[in-house]
Amino acid sequence: ANVAFDGLRQDTSLPVQVDADGLTVNQADGTAVFSGNVTVAQGTMRLSAAEVLVEYAEGGGIERLHASGGVTLASNEDAAEAREAVYTIDSGEVVMTGDVLLSQGTSVLSGQKLVINLTSGTGSMQGRVQTVFQPGSAP
Amino acid sequence: MARPDNLHSRLVSWLKILLPLVALVMLSTLFLVSRTIDPSDAIPYSEVDIEDRVREPRITAPTYAGITSDGAALTVDAAEVRPGAEGSPDGSALALQAELDTPDGASTRLVAERGALDQAARLLRLEGGVQISTSTGYRLTTDALSAALDVTDVQSPGALAGTTPMGQITAGSMRITQDATAAGGYVIVFGNRVRLIYEPQN
Repeated sequence: ANVAFDGLRQDTSLPVQVDADGLTVNQADGTAVFSGNVTVAQGTMRLSAAEVLVEYAEGGGIERLHASGGVTLASNEDAAEAREAVYTIDSGEVVMTGDVLLSQGTSVLSGQKLVINLTSGTGSMQGRVQTVFQPGSAP
Repeated sequence: MARPDNLHSRLVSWLKILLPLVALVMLSTLFLVSRTIDPSDAIPYSEVDIEDRVREPRITAPTYAGITSDGAALTVDAAEVRPGAEGSPDGSALALQAELDTPDGASTRLVAERGALDQAARLLRLEGGVQISTSTGYRLTTDALSAALDVTDVQSPGALAGTTPMGQITAGSMRITQDATAAGGYVIVFGNRVRLIYEPQN
Protein backbone atom coordinates (compact mmCIF):
# COMPACT_ATOMS: atom_id res chain seq x y z
CA ALA A 1 0.00 0.00 0.00
CA ASN A 2 1.30 3.50 -0.84
CA VAL A 3 1.20 5.93 1.97
CA ALA A 4 1.62 9.70 1.97
CA PHE A 5 4.00 11.06 4.56
CA ASP A 6 3.68 14.82 4.50
CA GLY A 7 4.63 14.86 8.15
CA LEU A 8 7.84 12.98 7.39
CA ARG A 9 8.97 15.12 4.48
CA GLN A 10 12.17 16.93 5.39
CA ASP A 11 15.54 17.92 4.08
CA THR A 12 18.11 15.13 4.42
CA SER A 13 21.07 17.47 4.07
CA LEU A 14 20.41 18.82 7.57
CA PRO A 15 23.00 17.83 10.19
CA VAL A 16 22.36 14.48 11.81
CA GLN A 17 22.74 14.38 15.57
CA VAL A 18 23.20 11.01 17.25
CA ASP A 19 22.92 10.74 21.03
CA ALA A 20 23.63 7.51 22.90
CA ASP A 21 24.82 6.12 26.19
CA GLY A 22 27.92 4.66 24.62
CA LEU A 23 29.84 4.26 21.38
CA THR A 24 32.20 1.40 20.58
CA VAL A 25 34.63 1.80 17.70
CA ASN A 26 36.68 -1.09 16.39
CA GLN A 27 40.20 0.29 15.94
CA ALA A 28 41.20 -2.01 13.09
CA ASP A 29 38.40 -1.31 10.62
CA GLY A 30 36.75 1.67 12.29
CA THR A 31 33.19 0.26 12.49
CA ALA A 32 31.22 2.28 15.06
CA VAL A 33 28.25 1.03 17.06
CA PHE A 34 26.16 3.36 19.21
CA SER A 35 24.42 1.52 22.06
CA GLY A 36 22.09 2.38 24.91
CA ASN A 37 18.87 4.29 24.03
CA VAL A 38 20.22 5.83 20.88
CA THR A 39 18.36 8.75 19.33
CA VAL A 40 19.08 9.97 15.80
CA ALA A 41 17.69 13.42 15.11
CA GLN A 42 17.60 15.25 11.80
CA GLY A 43 15.38 18.25 11.30
CA THR A 44 11.96 17.27 12.66
CA MET A 45 12.68 13.51 12.34
CA ARG A 46 13.54 11.53 15.48
CA LEU A 47 14.62 7.91 15.25
CA SER A 48 15.27 6.05 18.49
CA ALA A 49 16.61 2.53 18.83
CA ALA A 50 18.55 0.29 21.20
CA GLU A 51 21.57 0.06 18.91
CA VAL A 52 22.75 1.88 15.78
CA LEU A 53 25.60 0.69 13.58
CA VAL A 54 27.26 3.30 11.40
CA GLU A 55 28.21 2.34 7.85
CA TYR A 56 30.77 4.60 6.24
CA ALA A 57 30.73 5.99 2.69
CA GLU A 58 33.85 5.58 0.54
CA GLY A 59 34.85 9.22 0.59
CA GLY A 60 34.34 9.45 4.37
CA GLY A 61 31.21 10.49 6.19
CA ILE A 62 28.24 8.26 6.90
CA GLU A 63 26.38 6.32 4.23
CA ARG A 64 23.85 4.30 6.24
CA LEU A 65 22.65 3.93 9.82
CA HIS A 66 21.49 0.43 10.77
CA ALA A 67 19.19 0.73 13.79
CA SER A 68 18.11 -2.42 15.60
CA GLY A 69 16.56 -3.65 18.81
CA GLY A 70 13.15 -1.97 18.48
CA VAL A 71 13.08 1.21 16.42
CA THR A 72 10.57 4.07 16.57
CA LEU A 73 10.55 6.80 13.96
CA ALA A 74 8.59 9.94 14.76
CA SER A 75 8.14 13.21 12.93
CA ASN A 76 5.40 15.76 13.51
CA GLU A 77 2.23 13.68 13.89
CA ASP A 78 3.41 10.54 11.99
CA ALA A 79 5.08 7.72 13.91
CA ALA A 80 6.31 4.28 12.86
CA GLU A 81 7.60 1.37 14.94
CA ALA A 82 9.50 -1.71 13.82
CA ARG A 83 12.15 -4.15 14.96
CA GLU A 84 14.87 -2.82 12.65
CA ALA A 85 15.46 0.13 10.35
CA VAL A 86 18.09 1.20 7.83
CA TYR A 87 18.40 4.89 7.07
CA THR A 88 20.44 5.87 3.98
CA ILE A 89 21.20 9.52 4.61
CA ASP A 90 22.06 10.72 1.10
CA SER A 91 18.96 9.25 -0.56
CA GLY A 92 16.82 9.94 2.51
CA GLU A 93 15.33 6.44 2.40
CA VAL A 94 14.29 4.63 5.59
CA VAL A 95 13.53 0.92 5.33
CA MET A 96 11.79 -0.46 8.44
CA THR A 97 11.34 -4.19 8.79
CA GLY A 98 9.81 -6.59 11.32
CA ASP A 99 6.22 -6.04 12.67
CA VAL A 100 5.99 -2.50 11.36
CA LEU A 101 3.27 -0.34 12.92
CA LEU A 102 2.56 3.01 11.31
CA SER A 103 0.21 5.53 12.90
CA GLN A 104 -0.82 8.71 11.11
CA GLY A 105 -3.11 10.82 13.17
CA THR A 106 -5.95 8.40 14.00
CA SER A 107 -5.36 5.78 11.29
CA VAL A 108 -3.06 2.84 12.00
CA LEU A 109 -1.35 0.63 9.39
CA SER A 110 0.65 -2.51 10.14
CA GLY A 111 2.77 -4.78 7.94
CA GLN A 112 6.14 -6.49 7.62
CA LYS A 113 8.16 -3.93 5.65
CA LEU A 114 7.81 -0.16 5.33
CA VAL A 115 9.89 1.91 2.89
CA ILE A 116 9.76 5.67 3.49
CA ASN A 117 11.44 8.29 1.32
CA LEU A 118 11.99 11.35 3.50
CA THR A 119 12.84 13.66 0.63
CA SER A 120 9.66 13.02 -1.33
CA GLY A 121 7.52 12.23 1.69
CA THR A 122 6.14 9.02 0.16
CA GLY A 123 6.26 5.47 1.49
CA SER A 124 5.02 1.98 0.80
CA MET A 125 4.06 -0.78 3.21
CA GLN A 126 4.44 -4.44 2.23
CA GLY A 127 3.75 -7.85 3.78
CA ARG A 128 0.33 -8.63 5.31
CA VAL A 129 -0.76 -5.04 5.40
CA GLN A 130 -3.62 -4.42 7.84
CA THR A 131 -5.23 -1.12 8.59
CA VAL A 132 -7.73 0.23 11.07
CA PHE A 133 -10.07 3.08 10.11
CA GLN A 134 -12.02 5.09 12.66
CA PRO A 135 -15.42 5.31 10.97
CA GLY A 136 -16.95 8.71 10.88
CA SER A 137 -13.72 10.67 11.48
CA ALA A 138 -11.43 12.15 8.81
CA PRO A 139 -8.28 9.93 8.46
CA MET B 1 139.14 54.54 12.84
CA ALA B 2 139.46 58.36 12.37
CA ARG B 3 136.67 60.48 13.84
CA PRO B 4 134.18 60.81 11.08
CA ASP B 5 133.47 64.38 10.22
CA ASN B 6 130.57 64.20 7.82
CA LEU B 7 126.98 63.84 9.06
CA HIS B 8 126.30 60.51 7.34
CA SER B 9 129.04 58.59 9.02
CA ARG B 10 128.26 60.14 12.41
CA LEU B 11 124.67 59.13 12.03
CA VAL B 12 125.56 55.57 11.07
CA SER B 13 127.93 55.14 13.99
CA TRP B 14 125.27 56.34 16.46
CA LEU B 15 122.78 54.02 14.88
CA LYS B 16 125.19 51.12 15.23
CA ILE B 17 124.90 51.63 19.01
CA LEU B 18 121.26 52.59 19.31
CA LEU B 19 119.66 49.98 17.09
CA PRO B 20 121.11 46.92 18.93
CA LEU B 21 120.02 48.47 22.26
CA VAL B 22 116.45 48.87 20.95
CA ALA B 23 116.55 45.28 19.71
CA LEU B 24 117.75 44.12 23.14
CA VAL B 25 114.93 45.98 24.89
CA MET B 26 112.28 44.57 22.55
CA LEU B 27 113.67 41.11 23.00
CA SER B 28 113.58 41.34 26.79
CA THR B 29 110.01 42.62 26.89
CA LEU B 30 109.03 39.49 25.02
CA PHE B 31 109.48 37.51 28.25
CA LEU B 32 109.03 40.11 30.97
CA VAL B 33 105.76 41.70 29.92
CA SER B 34 104.03 38.71 28.24
CA ARG B 35 100.75 37.35 29.74
CA THR B 36 101.37 34.58 32.16
CA ILE B 37 99.27 31.51 31.20
CA ASP B 38 97.83 29.95 34.33
CA PRO B 39 97.44 26.21 33.53
CA SER B 40 95.15 25.68 36.52
CA ASP B 41 92.60 28.17 35.08
CA ALA B 42 90.23 25.62 33.32
CA ILE B 43 87.66 26.42 30.62
CA PRO B 44 85.29 29.09 32.01
CA TYR B 45 81.66 27.82 32.46
CA SER B 46 78.52 29.42 33.94
CA GLU B 47 77.61 28.44 37.47
CA VAL B 48 73.87 28.99 36.92
CA ASP B 49 73.13 25.68 35.21
CA ILE B 50 75.09 23.72 37.76
CA GLU B 51 73.35 25.26 40.76
CA ASP B 52 69.99 24.78 39.12
CA ARG B 53 70.71 21.12 38.45
CA VAL B 54 72.09 20.48 41.95
CA ARG B 55 69.06 22.13 43.55
CA GLU B 56 66.60 20.43 41.11
CA PRO B 57 68.15 17.22 39.74
CA ARG B 58 66.39 16.19 36.55
CA ILE B 59 66.76 14.12 33.40
CA THR B 60 66.36 15.97 30.11
CA ALA B 61 64.70 14.31 27.09
CA PRO B 62 64.09 10.91 28.75
CA THR B 63 62.34 8.14 26.85
CA TYR B 64 60.45 5.12 28.15
CA ALA B 65 59.62 2.13 25.99
CA GLY B 66 57.75 -1.02 26.91
CA ILE B 67 55.64 -3.83 25.51
CA THR B 68 52.30 -4.58 27.18
CA SER B 69 51.26 -8.16 27.96
CA ASP B 70 49.03 -8.23 24.86
CA GLY B 71 51.88 -7.15 22.59
CA ALA B 72 51.24 -3.42 22.20
CA ALA B 73 54.36 -1.25 22.03
CA LEU B 74 54.24 1.85 24.23
CA THR B 75 56.93 4.51 23.85
CA VAL B 76 56.87 7.69 25.92
CA ASP B 77 59.25 10.62 25.57
CA ALA B 78 59.24 13.86 27.52
CA ALA B 79 61.12 17.14 27.55
CA GLU B 80 62.16 16.76 31.18
CA VAL B 81 61.59 14.43 34.15
CA ARG B 82 62.08 15.57 37.76
CA PRO B 83 62.24 13.01 40.60
CA GLY B 84 59.20 12.76 42.81
CA ALA B 85 59.01 13.34 46.53
CA GLU B 86 61.54 11.67 48.83
CA GLY B 87 61.53 7.91 48.54
CA SER B 88 58.99 7.66 45.76
CA PRO B 89 60.51 6.35 42.53
CA ASP B 90 57.89 8.18 40.44
CA GLY B 91 58.97 11.28 38.62
CA SER B 92 56.91 14.11 37.15
CA ALA B 93 57.53 14.88 33.50
CA LEU B 94 56.89 17.91 31.30
CA ALA B 95 55.77 18.04 27.66
CA LEU B 96 55.08 14.36 27.22
CA GLN B 97 54.43 12.46 24.02
CA ALA B 98 53.36 8.82 24.03
CA GLU B 99 52.74 6.44 21.15
CA LEU B 100 50.82 3.18 21.54
CA ASP B 101 51.13 0.77 18.58
CA THR B 102 48.70 -2.10 19.04
CA PRO B 103 49.20 -5.42 17.24
CA ASP B 104 46.05 -4.85 15.16
CA GLY B 105 48.04 -2.25 13.23
CA ALA B 106 46.37 0.82 14.71
CA SER B 107 48.39 3.45 16.56
CA THR B 108 47.38 6.07 19.09
CA ARG B 109 49.38 9.24 19.83
CA LEU B 110 49.00 11.06 23.13
CA VAL B 111 50.42 14.54 23.76
CA ALA B 112 50.18 16.23 27.17
CA GLU B 113 51.73 19.14 29.05
CA ARG B 114 52.41 17.28 32.28
CA GLY B 115 52.64 13.66 33.24
CA ALA B 116 53.81 11.25 35.90
CA LEU B 117 54.99 7.67 35.75
CA ASP B 118 53.37 5.80 38.64
CA GLN B 119 55.58 2.70 39.00
CA ALA B 120 53.54 1.18 41.85
CA ALA B 121 50.27 1.21 39.93
CA ARG B 122 52.16 0.76 36.64
CA LEU B 123 50.28 3.72 35.18
CA LEU B 124 51.28 6.68 33.10
CA ARG B 125 49.14 9.68 34.14
CA LEU B 126 48.83 12.57 31.70
CA GLU B 127 47.31 15.96 32.51
CA GLY B 128 46.96 19.39 31.03
CA GLY B 129 45.30 19.55 27.61
CA VAL B 130 45.83 15.93 26.65
CA GLN B 131 45.47 15.39 22.89
CA ILE B 132 44.58 11.93 21.63
CA SER B 133 44.91 11.15 17.92
CA THR B 134 44.33 7.65 16.59
CA SER B 135 45.15 6.16 13.23
CA THR B 136 41.41 5.66 12.67
CA GLY B 137 41.06 9.43 12.36
CA TYR B 138 39.93 10.41 15.86
CA ARG B 139 41.32 13.73 17.18
CA LEU B 140 40.19 14.24 20.79
CA THR B 141 41.24 16.50 23.64
CA THR B 142 40.64 15.90 27.32
CA ASP B 143 42.14 17.18 30.53
CA ALA B 144 43.32 13.95 32.17
CA LEU B 145 44.22 10.50 30.94
CA SER B 146 45.85 7.37 32.32
CA ALA B 147 47.62 4.70 30.27
CA ALA B 148 48.44 1.35 31.85
CA LEU B 149 52.00 0.16 31.27
CA ASP B 150 51.47 -3.57 31.65
CA VAL B 151 48.28 -4.01 29.59
CA THR B 152 46.70 -1.96 26.81
CA ASP B 153 44.25 0.23 28.73
CA VAL B 154 44.08 3.96 28.01
CA GLN B 155 41.36 5.67 30.03
CA SER B 156 40.09 9.22 30.05
CA PRO B 157 37.64 9.44 32.95
CA GLY B 158 36.74 13.03 32.26
CA ALA B 159 34.70 14.51 29.43
CA LEU B 160 36.30 14.86 26.04
CA ALA B 161 35.49 16.37 22.69
CA GLY B 162 36.93 16.20 19.25
CA THR B 163 36.50 15.22 15.64
CA THR B 164 35.96 11.77 14.16
CA PRO B 165 35.62 10.49 10.58
CA MET B 166 31.86 10.74 11.22
CA GLY B 167 31.81 14.31 12.54
CA GLN B 168 32.12 16.23 15.80
CA ILE B 169 31.88 14.15 18.97
CA THR B 170 31.56 14.88 22.69
CA ALA B 171 31.57 12.10 25.26
CA GLY B 172 31.62 11.66 29.02
CA SER B 173 34.52 9.24 29.05
CA MET B 174 36.74 7.20 26.75
CA ARG B 175 38.66 3.97 27.02
CA ILE B 176 40.91 2.08 24.59
CA THR B 177 41.11 -1.59 25.51
CA GLN B 178 41.20 -5.03 24.01
CA ASP B 179 38.04 -6.08 22.20
CA ALA B 180 36.37 -8.69 24.44
CA THR B 181 34.49 -10.19 21.48
CA ALA B 182 37.27 -10.42 18.86
CA ALA B 183 40.63 -11.68 20.14
CA GLY B 184 43.50 -9.47 19.08
CA GLY B 185 41.11 -6.61 18.24
CA TYR B 186 41.05 -3.27 20.04
CA VAL B 187 38.13 -0.95 20.62
CA ILE B 188 37.69 2.66 21.60
CA VAL B 189 34.72 2.77 23.98
CA PHE B 190 33.08 6.15 24.62
CA GLY B 191 30.71 6.26 27.58
CA ASN B 192 28.59 8.50 29.82
CA ARG B 193 26.41 9.95 27.04
CA VAL B 194 27.93 10.39 23.65
CA ARG B 195 26.80 13.02 21.15
CA LEU B 196 27.85 12.95 17.51
CA ILE B 197 26.99 15.67 14.97
CA TYR B 198 27.38 14.62 11.32
CA GLU B 199 27.14 17.21 8.53
CA PRO B 200 26.10 15.54 5.27
CA GLN B 201 28.29 16.89 2.49
CA ASN B 202 25.79 16.57 -0.40
